[in-house]
Amino acid sequence: MTNSINNIEFVNELVAKTTKILKQEVIDNQQVAYEINTCDVHHLLSVLKTSGWKQLSYLSAVDWPEENKFEVVYILFNWEQPVYIQVRTKIDRENPVVDTITTVFPGAKYYEREAHEFFGIAFPGNPDYMKQLILEGWDDIPPLRKDFDPSAYSAKKFPSREYPQDYSVKDPENHTREKREARKVRGNALRTGGKKQ
Amino acid sequence: MLSTKFTPKTKLTKAEIDRKWWEVGDYFRRNSLWLLMYCTGCCAIELPPSMTSAYDMERLGMGPMATPRQADILLVSGYLSLKTLRRLIYTYEQMSEPKYVVALGSCPINGGIYHDSHAVINQLDQYVPVDVYVAGCMPNPESVLNGFVDLMEGIKNKTMNGWKRYHEHYEWYKENQKNSLGEVIVHDEFHQ
Ligand code: SF4
Repeated sequence: MTNSINNIEFVNELVAKTTKILKQEVIDNQQVAYEINTCDVHHLLSVLKTSGWKQLSYLSAVDWPEENKFEVVYILFNWEQPVYIQVRTKIDRENPVVDTITTVFPGAKYYEREAHEFFGIAFPGNPDYMKQLILEGWDDIPPLRKDFDPSAYSAKKFPSREYPQDYSVKDPENHTREKREARKVRGNALRTGGKKQ
Repeated sequence: MLSTKFTPKTKLTKAEIDRKWWEVGDYFRRNSLWLLMYCTGCCAIELPPSMTSAYDMERLGMGPMATPRQADILLVSGYLSLKTLRRLIYTYEQMSEPKYVVALGSCPINGGIYHDSHAVINQLDQYVPVDVYVAGCMPNPESVLNGFVDLMEGIKNKTMNGWKRYHEHYEWYKENQKNSLGEVIVHDEFHQ
């Protein structure tokens, strides 16, 4: 319990005893990540909760369009042993459904609503997961999916200012870097703190 | 012309008298502007130095005010997300007239570094009329104060009439608000 290497070994042992690990990653000496099957998530989370990882720091998702998967990530924290545990599980991207974990961590209610809003993941078992939380009246595909194009959405919804003249410097030859450097040198030369040079 | 015992009193029309009173009002108004700070974005961090002893906004007669109904200036400091814009429009419409809008930073001008975000609007003057823009990301306190001095000048010269424009082009503003926001009314589960 005193040093972090022992902590990580302890966690490794605990998780390996509890469930089948598909992939394991030690991020640094205070963070470990385990990828497990979706059906084992509840079991592992409840075991971890009873062994001290009683705070759910975050629940979110990562979009992997090439694999056609969403990766749901649960991050747990323990106040006695300083190790963050990430529990990751991959779910189908076309039909993203994963059971709620509000039975283990009731506070996950809002994280699940957020994940539903930003990725479109459904959490059956959580009665509120479909309610809006952050976005108000969203009218497009969930915005944190990789196939959502924010600049196209912005161009469609929000009028942008039109300038009569284009002020940006496009000519690579005509850049102002030297002028800027010269200004800086001059400014530093003047900066003598009130003393005569 | 001053009227004395020997000259007949000049008869002023109602409009002229109104204008004179309005000028008197403007004089007092521009020397005691109260700010409603709706600190929407990171530009808000420039306000503490401009309010405290270093730049001392109070010497211009300006001070912070807690409620929209008592404030003269709506200060939009930085980017506005859709959610904030809804509340901002509520706030703007609650303020008593004459009211002025000062927008800090490049975000309300053209979107700034958030020009391609799905959650942040690009141009504030499509939704509420803006009287003074202070450019910069973020503008330093000198330029913030300069913006306020410009506003005072403008009130003196009667050019700061964004609130009149809002009345005249109310339909246009409402339509823009509707196009970008969908609905201006806030539906909020925590307050219903
Ligand atoms: S202009 Fe720059 S400093 Fe101001 S709100 Fe936008 S990003 Fe932040």
